[in-house]
Amino acid sequence: MRTGGHEFEPGLAGNPGPPARGQPSDEGRRARLTAGRCPGVAARATLLWVALVAACRAAPVEPCPAAGLAADRAPLVESTSRFDSAFAAAGAEFHVPPTVLKGIGWVETRWQMVEGAEEFAGRPPAFGVMALRGVALERGAALAGVTVAAARRDPVANIRAAAALLDAYAGEAAIDRSHSEPWSVVVARYSGIELAEGRATYGREVDRALGFAAARAAPAGTAAAPAACPPPPASGGAPDYASAVWRASPNFNQRPADSTGAMHIVIIHTCESNYTSCWSWLVNPASQASAHYVVNEDGSEASQLVLERDRAWHIAALYDCTLNRRHDCWLNGVQSNHFTVGVEHAGFVSQDSFPASQIEVSAALVCDVTRDRGIPRDWQHIVAHGQLQPGDRTDPGPHWPWIAYVHRVQARCGEVVVDDSAAFNDPALAAAAVPGTWTASDSTPDYYGGGYRWALTQPGATDGAVFSFRLAAAGPRTLDARWTSGTNRSSRAAYAVITVAGDTLAVVRQDQTTGGGRWHTLGTWTFPAGWNRVVLLQRDVSGAVVVADALRVRE
Amino acid sequence: MPWRAPYLALSLALLVLGACQRDEPRQRVRISSSGANAGVPLLVPPGSQDTGFVGTTSAVHRPRPGRPPRILRAVDARASPGYDRITFEFTGDSLPGYHVEYTSGPVRRCGSGDPVAVTGAAKLLVRLEPAQAHDERGNATLTERDRTLGLPAARDLKLVCDVEGQVEWVLGVAVAGPYRVSELAGPARLVLDVRHGQ
Repeated sequence: MRTGGHEFEPGLAGNPGPPARGQPSDEGRRARLTAGRCPGVAARATLLWVALVAACRAAPVEPCPAAGLAADRAPLVESTSRFDSAFAAAGAEFHVPPTVLKGIGWVETRWQMVEGAEEFAGRPPAFGVMALRGVALERGAALAGVTVAAARRDPVANIRAAAALLDAYAGEAAIDRSHSEPWSVVVARYSGIELAEGRATYGREVDRALGFAAARAAPAGTAAAPAACPPPPASGGAPDYASAVWRASPNFNQRPADSTGAMHIVIIHTCESNYTSCWSWLVNPASQASAHYVVNEDGSEASQLVLERDRAWHIAALYDCTLNRRHDCWLNGVQSNHFTVGVEHAGFVSQDSFPASQIEVSAALVCDVTRDRGIPRDWQHIVAHGQLQPGDRTDPGPHWPWIAYVHRVQARCGEVVVDDSAAFNDPALAAAAVPGTWTASDSTPDYYGGGYRWALTQPGATDGAVFSFRLAAAGPRTLDARWTSGTNRSSRAAYAVITVAGDTLAVVRQDQTTGGGRWHTLGTWTFPAGWNRVVLLQRDVSGAVVVADALRVRE
Repeated sequence: MPWRAPYLALSLALLVLGACQRDEPRQRVRISSSGANAGVPLLVPPGSQDTGFVGTTSAVHRPRPGRPPRILRAVDARASPGYDRITFEFTGDSLPGYHVEYTSGPVRRCGSGDPVAVTGAAKLLVRLEPAQAHDERGNATLTERDRTLGLPAARDLKLVCDVEGQVEWVLGVAVAGPYRVSELAGPARLVLDVRHGQ
């Protein structure tokens, strides 16, 4: 809903162009964001306020505490919103800081007009760049003197209605606007969030947007406007993934103690909502649902809701191996939550693409999970919710970049896999050349990718299946081979390890009659930069099957 | 010029710090909760006293892809002459897609996968999509999520799914009799009538 806004109508002033000359670089903005000094101000005597102000005063030039994932990541927002002139005008008209409007707009909609306005004539969940909803929208529209319809569809009216509403809230909270007052109270009310932690997160997200805006607005050569200290952690420190925020959900139970409870599949979901809505609901006992993790829209934050060792509630389906390349059919009929780790992503099945930053953070998270739990990084073990539950689920949808995603998970874990099929390879790093006489098959399960190729050994064969991998720099690598096993396989399949210079480093024999579907180490060698390769030879005493499935190269 | 930089900086600091304060006023955005429309008479469509409607026992499927999810704010169940009526009321004037079907298999909660039992000889599934029975802030818009109805046909009504844009109910009915599904506007409602007896 929030990611699918239509383009802003022309005519409203707003400059999405490049930053003005002299504005700080991205690096400079990041530095200021993470090292912003706290303003030395008198403040209301809440404990938190006193403590934080005291801390900031005690060390006026020390950086504020790093804010978890966001601290070393690119800023959330662009320098200029398409709605800046509307924020400024509405702010001046209703005596609300335009940056507050801008920050709320960023958090609510990423400065997009929420789509579907014409479809709803009644009481929608949210409208416009300010995500006004329900009675708040009606009240804001009345206060701003615009129609409800205009407040839904017209950006200027929408922002004015929000400003008028904030103005009213500020008045009801008896804010003295001639002095600095806690607009946070007003913003918290605007958020409509009941949960205290949810309100805090909302405020933190608004702050992140505002802090950035303040830094960006600083003229060249001057100190950035001091950004507020981020609030104390909620950030980081999750038990199984330290970069994530720990937001414990009550919606879990124990995994079975027997083999059905051994976690070995990661399930990828989309929330069909924004991030805050997603985790807020999944920590509410009323939802009767959860996931182990939720990744936000741009990857600047992830939450852990349930310990990995516990059974989160993220998939209804009983396992059916025919939906998963006939992998682990002994688990058929077992409830899938028993042995899976669920990762939700803010967003929608229907969105056209997923931000690269979200994919990257998700990949880093899933690398961590698979490494810690010994889960293979392939398409049987990192799967879609919709794949395992096709009757009523499609998430994460057709635009989840599966091949690139698994490659990123592998890369985060320091490995590259060369499949027998180009479709599953990153052509910059991996390539396979299998003679056309080898037969493609997927009849024996537990292959890597979409299948494998096989051939009968022949004493006179002169070629083999070539798995090539490119190294940018010389260095040691450990190689592992994978096959599908069967009694007709070769017990002495020969893998020749050959450098880019043509030097054969070793010929390693493996017994393919057993051990299918797992990686088997060939050895560790130092390779030169360039395309090195492993050749699975067809030449041997005749009559055995050799299976070319995949090669793994790891640091 | 009221928005000078120091003022802004101060405002921003207060904005963030104040978000953690405990004494701030709260805005309740819950649209409808306990009682689920109790005591509020619902409009009934013309012909609602049609006690002899034919109906169907087959699946009724009306997909409406897209987003955002429609928010389910109230569910009402009451007996009428000849049938029981379940009314699902949404915010706004548009309905989600729906799929209504008798099922013989076990019904499971979509999160935990736990089986859900209802009374009655048959189970009628009502799936609404895209829909949710909670608001954008993680607050439930319905508090009665497992209800004993005790009506002549409709015995139990349990919410088995409310996540990822999908809301699913299971209705325990006395016998797998004919039903009909109709749509009403102002506000948007989906009406499920289940005939009494055979």
